[in-house]
Amino acid sequence: MKRAAFGHISFPILLLLPQLVIIAIFFYWPAGYALQSSFYLEDPFGFGSTFVGMDNYTRLASSSSYMDAAWFTLIFTSLVTFFALAIALLLAVKADKVIRGARTYRTLLMWVYAIAPPVAGLIGVMLFDQSRGNITQLLGMMGIEYRLGVNYWDTASAMITVSIWKQIPVNFIFFLSGLQAIPQSVREAAMIDNRSGTRRFWDITFPLLAPTGFFLLIINITYSLFDTFGIVDTIVKGQPGNNPMTLVYRVFVDGFRGQDLGGSSAQSVVLMVLVLILTIVQFRFLERRIHYT
Amino acid sequence: MNLKKTVGLGLAFGLMAGAAQAQTEIEFWHAMGGQLGETVDQMAANFNASQGDYVITPVFKGTYEETLTSAIAAFRAGEQPNIVQVFDAGAATVIGAQGATVPVEQLLSDNGVAFDREDYISGVRNFYADADGQMIGMPFNSSTPIMYYNADALEAAGVTAPATWEEFAETTAPALLEAGYIPLAQSHLPWIFTENFFSRHNLQFASNDNGYTGVDTEIMVNHPAIRAHFNALTEWQEAGYFEWYGTGWGDNQDPFEAGEVAMWLGSSGSFGGIADRVDFNFSAAMLPYWEAVTTEPTQTFIGGAALFAMSGFDAAENEATAAFFDYLASTDNQVFWHVATGYVPITTAAYEAAAEQGHYEEFPAAEVGVQQLQLPAGEFTRGYRMGFYVQIRDVMNREYGRILTGETSVEDAFETIEAEANELLARFAQTQG
Amino acid sequence: MAEISETQVAATAPTRPVKRIRWDTIGDHAVLIAGALLMLVPVYMVFATSSWDAITIHREGMQFGFGEDMGVNYNAALFEYGGFTDSVNGVTMLANSMILGLGFAIGKIIVGMMAAYAIVYFRLRFATLAFWMIFTTLLLPLEVRILPSYEVITAMNLGNTYTGLIVPLIASATATFFFRQYFRSVPEELIEAARIDGAGPVKFFIDILVPLSKTMIAAMFIIMFVFGWNQYLWPTLITTDESLFTLVRGIRQIIQSYADGSETPDYGQAAALAIIAMTPPVLIVVFFQNWFVKGLTESDK
Repeated sequence: MKRAAFGHISFPILLLLPQLVIIAIFFYWPAGYALQSSFYLEDPFGFGSTFVGMDNYTRLASSSSYMDAAWFTLIFTSLVTFFALAIALLLAVKADKVIRGARTYRTLLMWVYAIAPPVAGLIGVMLFDQSRGNITQLLGMMGIEYRLGVNYWDTASAMITVSIWKQIPVNFIFFLSGLQAIPQSVREAAMIDNRSGTRRFWDITFPLLAPTGFFLLIINITYSLFDTFGIVDTIVKGQPGNNPMTLVYRVFVDGFRGQDLGGSSAQSVVLMVLVLILTIVQFRFLERRIHYT
Repeated sequence: MNLKKTVGLGLAFGLMAGAAQAQTEIEFWHAMGGQLGETVDQMAANFNASQGDYVITPVFKGTYEETLTSAIAAFRAGEQPNIVQVFDAGAATVIGAQGATVPVEQLLSDNGVAFDREDYISGVRNFYADADGQMIGMPFNSSTPIMYYNADALEAAGVTAPATWEEFAETTAPALLEAGYIPLAQSHLPWIFTENFFSRHNLQFASNDNGYTGVDTEIMVNHPAIRAHFNALTEWQEAGYFEWYGTGWGDNQDPFEAGEVAMWLGSSGSFGGIADRVDFNFSAAMLPYWEAVTTEPTQTFIGGAALFAMSGFDAAENEATAAFFDYLASTDNQVFWHVATGYVPITTAAYEAAAEQGHYEEFPAAEVGVQQLQLPAGEFTRGYRMGFYVQIRDVMNREYGRILTGETSVEDAFETIEAEANELLARFAQTQG
Repeated sequence: MAEISETQVAATAPTRPVKRIRWDTIGDHAVLIAGALLMLVPVYMVFATSSWDAITIHREGMQFGFGEDMGVNYNAALFEYGGFTDSVNGVTMLANSMILGLGFAIGKIIVGMMAAYAIVYFRLRFATLAFWMIFTTLLLPLEVRILPSYEVITAMNLGNTYTGLIVPLIASATATFFFRQYFRSVPEELIEAARIDGAGPVKFFIDILVPLSKTMIAAMFIIMFVFGWNQYLWPTLITTDESLFTLVRGIRQIIQSYADGSETPDYGQAAALAIIAMTPPVLIVVFFQNWFVKGLTESDK
């Protein structure tokens, strides 16, 4: 809240109302519904249901395939987040440095941002296809046997690569904005203090970019967890089999595809709790950050 | 806008409303994308043109799974379509929910359409029927697993399509390997090498008559015969007789079309696509069987999907649905669908009509599926009825994949499948409580 | 900037050969060119592929060179009426995607700005609570709560409407969150000055805050437009009326048979549709990129 805030009561409530009504109906109600049905086993058509207490949760804890998905999600999220950030940062630093063609590079690098996830997944699945994939053929020429859909880690690497590819532009734009927001005076001062470009980057630029970076970290974690859904779905062609899948995709597979409402609701609730923890972390970080600036 | 135009428009609207009132409109949700979807549209348009009382609108709703889930969600919201296409693994969910659908046999007889289940090909008749044989869903795009082969490759190797797996292992595979081919691939291990494996050898797949007579069903997949089959598969894989390209259907089909794999087990409905794309002579044979298991191999059953009439509509709309089903089952339309798509005809009459037209002389491979569906039936050949079967297939796919990538043993995998499937079945039974 | 750095390096490290500086710049360009290629070659390949016939693509995969079916594929993708009612072709799908993208972006910006304004600029006892309630929605995607959302929309009789398509997607906090961030960085003096001038909350919002936020609004608009434009699962569930189908859904309908191999999907046409689907968001992103970057920069102060 601003120190010099308005004192009205009804007007701000009026302003908040549309947002609150929409999230109450389309977020809290469904979320509450998921919480409730996570304690039941329910016929999909709604004809019968049995209260099963914590069963839907305990079976998750004892399910090795769920734990596999959880581990994979952790690995997937870490790799996608790290590489999407690292590559974007490298490109942003370079784009900030060069004078000639800076705008052209920026335009070219932003392009992929506009591609729909199922389309990105399709591009990936075509490029990595076992028999006709261009990348598969390239790897074959290098003597690497690459088998999407057969080998767990081959499939995983395709998912990770496509997910990184899709996320680089957003990170790039944010990093570039962050870099360009560093005042000229700070840059010049840094020049005088530091001879080495590398040291200048780590000592001055990187700390100044840290807020952007931390914010992007959270954005990228949520992207890897949730928004890669379309990519995962397209790459496993809707049939996970012995291939890896993320937790969100598993909610979809069991609930939307398999009609196990109770089981998938319990998974949603687990996700919601994870999300809540993430939210708290982010909230605390933001508050601190605002204090700094 | 001038007055004349307004009046004219008003009149036009009035007329349109009048016309709409006279016709009963029904909706049909399906999962047929691409050219298949266009064929469905064509049939619906033909139906609309063939009479003046009913208007059907087909709507594409995504994959089979997305279509079923959309229909269920719509049912819960009271917005269900009159007809929904449901695939084999989802059948138990829909048939189990009594009151969600009107059994097709009842719908047809209620609306004065003559119906005799004996008109239907025997492998088609039972999959979407209840324990008493009453048809609940109307088989639509019906297919069954068959073995396609590259005739040029077999000729080069000097062999013919094997009738048994023993023949394959001893004669066919070594010769094909020698001739430079990968002898065998398949698409969809749960469907071809599990469900239809049990049917082809007349083995019990689940308790309660394969699940037809009760909901407290237990799967009996951990059978010595299928374990032996998968052990053979891993040996063949080792020896280069068999190659597995993952869970994806097309990934296993592509090498066959590219001429690398000599024989491929797939769907009778794949016929049209293969014919479009390959430049070698191909034909098809029935699914091989193990002589060690049975000397009297039985029929397979249909996969693909069926149409279900959802409940909650007035008599007029149900009448329209019945009329559309009647139209679809007519011999002319079945022949059209069969020839256009490669799916099997569902009635004996349609099969005979297609034969008379000379369709099978031109394409012998198109007949194999129909013949296989008409083989002698057995106690356990009508299909299976298990809840949460989509997930059970997921478990099978996962464990089979792990067998074929060497991550687990056949014995462990089948124990896992049985345990996880039974847990899912017990959970499904609870949803019905 | 690079010039300064070069001069500086040259001045302080005169022993180093001058050549090295040039190598540095070349290295920078090499990295950027590699990055651009990494991003764009796949897109180029989709474009090249969209000029081939389905069978070739099915056999050989994505193409580098151009085929002869460019005209056929784009004509079919744009103008050939598909579906049963013949009420939908590429152009109508384009229009629907546009409505979804615009409606979502505009709706979300308005709702989000209003809420953020209330939270930041008013002494509201439950402002923190409200913010938390809104904020929690940031991270749970629609896919996870899709079925109950569908039931609500149908119960409200909003199936097959643009409202039903758009409103549930607005139920997340991204825009509110960004605007809150931005408003908090707006100098205190502004509102003090406004109050001295006797401006009420409405006047302050419309005359001062909105114009001040225009780069932020532009950045939000781009992000939200792309998000709305690219939706797939929700539009598929909620619409049965073919005249409401969107481009991404059209692409899925064509490539549906990719996985099952029963027939040859119309890859060429799908690739053409993918290019068409990419074009408007790309144009928006490219043309408004300055605003975009500026909006984000200001919010990061």
